[in-house]
Amino acid sequence: MSPGILLLGAGLALAAALPAARRWPRLWLGLTLAAAAQALLAAAWVLSGGTAWEWRSATLIGGEAPHLRLDAVSALFLALLAVLGGAGALYSGEYWPDRAHPRSAPAGRGWWGCLLLWMGLVLVAANGLHFLIAWELFAVSSYFLITLERRRLEARRAGWLYLAVSHAGTLCLFAFFALLAARTGGWDLGPMRERTDLAPLYWLALAGFGIKAGLFPLHVWLPSAHASAPSHVSAIFSGVAIKMGIYGLVRFSGWLPVPEPAAWTVLGLGLASAVLGVAFALGQHDLKRLLAYHSVENIGIILIGLGFGLLGLARGQAGWGFLALCGGLLHVWNHGLFKALLFLGAGSVLHATGTRAMSRLGGLWRAMPWTASCFTLGAAAISGLPPLNGFVSEWLVYLGLFASVGAPGAALWAAIPAAVLLAVTGALALACFVKVCGVVFLGSPRTPEAGRAHECGWSMRLPMLALAGGCVAIGLAPAVFWPAVARAAAAWNPAWSAQEMPASLSALGSLHAVLAALGGLAVAILWRQMRRQGVERAPTWDCGYAAPTPRMQYTAGSFAGIINEWFAWILRPERHCRPPEGFFPARASDAMHTPETVLEKVITPVAAGVRWVSTAVRGLQHGRIQSYVFYLVLGLLALVLLTGFGK
Amino acid sequence: MSAILEIFARLFVWLLLAPLVPGIINRVKARVAGRRGPPVLQLYYDLAKLWRKGVVLSAVASPLHWAGPAVAWMAVALAALLVPLGPLGAAVSFRGDALVFLCLLALARFLLALAALDTGSAFEGMGAAREVSYAVLAEAALISALLALGIQNRSASLAEMLAPSAGPGAALLGAGLFAVLLAENCRVPFDDPNTHLELTMIHEVMVLDHSGPPLAVILHGAALKLLVFAVLLAGAVLPLGRAGKPPALLALAGAVLLIAVAVGLVESLMARLALRRVPLLLTTAFLFCLFALLAAWKGMAA
Repeated sequence: MSPGILLLGAGLALAAALPAARRWPRLWLGLTLAAAAQALLAAAWVLSGGTAWEWRSATLIGGEAPHLRLDAVSALFLALLAVLGGAGALYSGEYWPDRAHPRSAPAGRGWWGCLLLWMGLVLVAANGLHFLIAWELFAVSSYFLITLERRRLEARRAGWLYLAVSHAGTLCLFAFFALLAARTGGWDLGPMRERTDLAPLYWLALAGFGIKAGLFPLHVWLPSAHASAPSHVSAIFSGVAIKMGIYGLVRFSGWLPVPEPAAWTVLGLGLASAVLGVAFALGQHDLKRLLAYHSVENIGIILIGLGFGLLGLARGQAGWGFLALCGGLLHVWNHGLFKALLFLGAGSVLHATGTRAMSRLGGLWRAMPWTASCFTLGAAAISGLPPLNGFVSEWLVYLGLFASVGAPGAALWAAIPAAVLLAVTGALALACFVKVCGVVFLGSPRTPEAGRAHECGWSMRLPMLALAGGCVAIGLAPAVFWPAVARAAAAWNPAWSAQEMPASLSALGSLHAVLAALGGLAVAILWRQMRRQGVERAPTWDCGYAAPTPRMQYTAGSFAGIINEWFAWILRPERHCRPPEGFFPARASDAMHTPETVLEKVITPVAAGVRWVSTAVRGLQHGRIQSYVFYLVLGLLALVLLTGFGK
Repeated sequence: MSAILEIFARLFVWLLLAPLVPGIINRVKARVAGRRGPPVLQLYYDLAKLWRKGVVLSAVASPLHWAGPAVAWMAVALAALLVPLGPLGAAVSFRGDALVFLCLLALARFLLALAALDTGSAFEGMGAAREVSYAVLAEAALISALLALGIQNRSASLAEMLAPSAGPGAALLGAGLFAVLLAENCRVPFDDPNTHLELTMIHEVMVLDHSGPPLAVILHGAALKLLVFAVLLAGAVLPLGRAGKPPALLALAGAVLLIAVAVGLVESLMARLALRRVPLLLTTAFLFCLFALLAAWKGMAA
């Protein structure tokens, strides 16, 4: 069974699922899951050592012969797409049911199938023209998924912003592929590492794919799109769709030569995204917006790995470049798993309480133990804590950084700040997720709707459990997953195919297992001792205050207050304060809000300026023929003067 | 088999010796204040008593409230196993274990902060917020220190990094790590371990609602963390790995004792800092470690 047949099966199943989306949700689900399983098998076949699959057809589509290729780099992303595509499809049945959303639920199923199909095509397309077509269709399907709830103004706005920014990126990609085709004489894509004249094109790819990936200054579309979309859509968005940008950056940095300044830029943007992404996340009060900013952070971590990989390539340093690149690539999987898990958990909270505002939640663990456990596990994973998967990939990146520090050279200048900032990012992410888990799931309910929460059903629980299982599996047995990542890195740069697994990776896996075992043992011993000595329940210690209310619990804003103050220079938080006045103050309030600073403080003013200039220029065109003649005369005069002085 | 036995024996010794350090510190403080003070073994008695007591749990607390500290305790114990004891080396050692050490401590912090938030008390929320916020700076300092040692010894394994002394930057590294030790272990001038009921506390306020065996686990874990940091500091400054076994172990014990005395003296002679100054002091610690890093780098380039 070759991957080609599996991919064909997956494509056919997805195509067959399209007409079923409207009337037969169960059939649609079955076909989508079948497609996901086949795609996963095809990816696993390539990643487990099979040769890359390649297929060319003689029939022309759009004047070009289709050329598909599934190598280890594509397969790495395809596996993630298959897992999250299947998990999200299963989740959506209960989360976005037909009876609650009679119009948008069938539409959502249809667009879901389209999204998976076009993303899959982007991953296997090896022809620039077809890549662009698939890319554009993928962007449009994403737009319709974001605006599923199009009655809400917020969703429409998020959709438009996404569409506009995404097309700005596509424009760069048009330029990129067109110049590539012009210089190579064909649209066919493949390794062209020796063509050094193509190196400058990587800047265009960086802009175009960077927008999709949500790099720091280009991330403006990301928070609102992730927050407004239904949660299973946010999950696949954050898990896979923004990874398409990473795929582009990885793919074309492997196929084309990369100028060294671009490698430094990738690294710098990665560092900025990592630290500032988490800083913005700390300022959020909306659960899903917060998770969206963490995507910016994790994309940053992936790019730190890729940036060091590129530097290692440029310097001929296989040792550390390979390690950092593998860390970055493994983080693609890891981030996909735990971020999708967190978004599905957030969706479950939203489903149960009807709100995303953290200040209205609290104490949900009692009503939703499954969601709370899965979410907390995902939170520990994204904070890069052992024994889970997030730590494994960050550890590999760190290992690359430490190894590059040992070797003299300019890379040291990057490795020191990168390691320090990576540690700071980890500590900030930890602070942020302590805040989220503590405020949403622990304590007591802050509002009646939080008190009436209910656990989600099995078809929402199963995908979360599966993703949580993936996080634990990669954490406990990293050596099992290593060959897949190493093959992707070897496909990226064939010269590195001789690199071996760091021996300490299996030691790390055993240490994780020991940690899990010892932790479990300690919990069991403590539980036994507590049972023996007797457990009493009493109110939380309140310093003797007579009437504590749930609203007196620490809030998300206060929790993040200290760190927000440190980052106020870029977060620009807006404070709306009405202090209590007079002897018997009636109402007082104090609210803090962190805007999307880059969008509101940079892009919106610039856009307003452009619009102002355009409006001013439009005054020239008014339809009075006399004035037009006058313009012509002026123009002629200018030309005469120009030619006169030109001599 | 013998390797596993050795690991368990080491774990046992770490767990056994840990409560001694706070005892010594308290003794020093008492002496400086002109009191007799509690016995050095006081923490052992306290732990034994707490272990046999019943538990009062907050009505809103989830199982994480007590299970979290138990896992955090084991995380610190595993971190202890990664720290080399001079010529004896570490129980577990591999390339990159320095980062595992860092993140095991982070795991303990994550779980303890969540256990604190679990009661829904604003006091404990405040403590947890301060803990995780200041830890950002402490972690930056710690990774700089580890990088400095890593550059100097071209290694990412604690056992190799701590074997020789820190070389030209040893004094800077020692000062930076000592400040991190004070901050991470709730010591004056960052925090005051003597009182639970101040709005300005950090670590101590997080455990307000813990009692009985879970509190014993937390206190023991805190003592263990202090010992781990003391051994790490001693290992970073002294060339323990290069000496013979008996003198090196004696020197290690002496250094840990000296650190405990120094902590006690700092606690007796200094007042706690105003809370808003804590980040400044931690940033200073970070800069010390960063300068040690630059010194190590210059040393390598030369």
